[in-house]
Amino acid sequence: MRTAVVTGAARGIGREISIRLSRDFDHLIVVDMSPTLAETALKLETLEVRVTPVQANLTTDDGIAQVVESVDAVTALVNNAGITRDSRLVNMDEEDFRAVLEVNLGVPFRLVEGLADSWAGEASVVNIASRAYLGNFGQFNYAMSKGGVVGLTRALAMSLAPDVRVNAVAPGLTATEMIETIPDDVISRMVAAVPLSRVGLPSEIADAVAWLCSAESSYVTGQVVVVDGGRSLT
Amino acid sequence: MQAHLDVPPDLLDAFRTAGVGELEPGAPSILAAPAGHGDWPSTLEALTGLYRKARAAAIEGSPVVFLVSSDALLGRTGALNAMAAMGVVSAARTLALELRKQGAVANCLASGVDTPRDETVQWSLHLLAGSADGPSGEVVQLGGAQIGKALS
Repeated sequence: MRTAVVTGAARGIGREISIRLSRDFDHLIVVDMSPTLAETALKLETLEVRVTPVQANLTTDDGIAQVVESVDAVTALVNNAGITRDSRLVNMDEEDFRAVLEVNLGVPFRLVEGLADSWAGEASVVNIASRAYLGNFGQFNYAMSKGGVVGLTRALAMSLAPDVRVNAVAPGLTATEMIETIPDDVISRMVAAVPLSRVGLPSEIADAVAWLCSAESSYVTGQVVVVDGGRSLT
Repeated sequence: MQAHLDVPPDLLDAFRTAGVGELEPGAPSILAAPAGHGDWPSTLEALTGLYRKARAAAIEGSPVVFLVSSDALLGRTGALNAMAAMGVVSAARTLALELRKQGAVANCLASGVDTPRDETVQWSLHLLAGSADGPSGEVVQLGGAQIGKALS
């Protein structure tokens, strides 16, 4: 049985990744602290895949243990759960700095540690980074966390080889709830800087993740795939 | 030169020898990325310390050089070191963007275990002395040992 674990699966990119991976995996373990995870689980059940929802706070030892106890052998792990607490560094509270680092960077590290004895043969880890790892105004904490995810990806690619491949996907501006609060004129200016002239779709991020989880990327490890419509070039 | 120094003891001596003196408000900062921590909580604590010092520099509008290990950037010295080093690089790029209006710069200096300390000191001072039109948000690699590698 091919089992994939997806964190932050209740909505947005994580939900879309779960739906996409339902085509390639027999069993999906979807994880989120939000009760709306149940909606993702219901959707997945209609796609003829076995689903195990785990509602857990992964910043706690108990939360990590809940996930570890739910799996026998993991073929794919997608570390997607993430938060933002944006402001210029001069105005950034220490609490907001630590919260973003804890969720975006500490959780992937601790989850991989927890699953150390649970990898199936030829497994794949995909860490969701962000184009912000290249630097982004007002996101000192978020950029640091996502740069850290890239560092984690490189280190794990070497320490878990040759049995487990580890890569990252770095999305750019993507149509999720995270950007719904951004005014339209700001979105328009952001899109103007994207060579492909539009916001990305969660399904486009999910396709990149699915590729990295598949045998089609069997010689790829330790890399970052930037899915940003070319924004990192402008 | 005056500077806030948060670097390992051996480098601290080298900076002192080069004439880098006591800190004063508005002085530039030379901050080493956390390394050698054995678990996530202590790594987070060290990164929080770096955040405090970087924030102080941002408030003062003063330049910053972050010191990182080339081997850590490439993930060769373990996950926690790699997370801290690459995290600092991304934070430095963001700080560089935020400091731009104030005419200050932020850069990273990447070196290996064989890099002479004097070289690290001189390049740190060189980067701190740069104008707003000079390098900012960059990773400057000392020595040629990492040519061809995905350093940042």
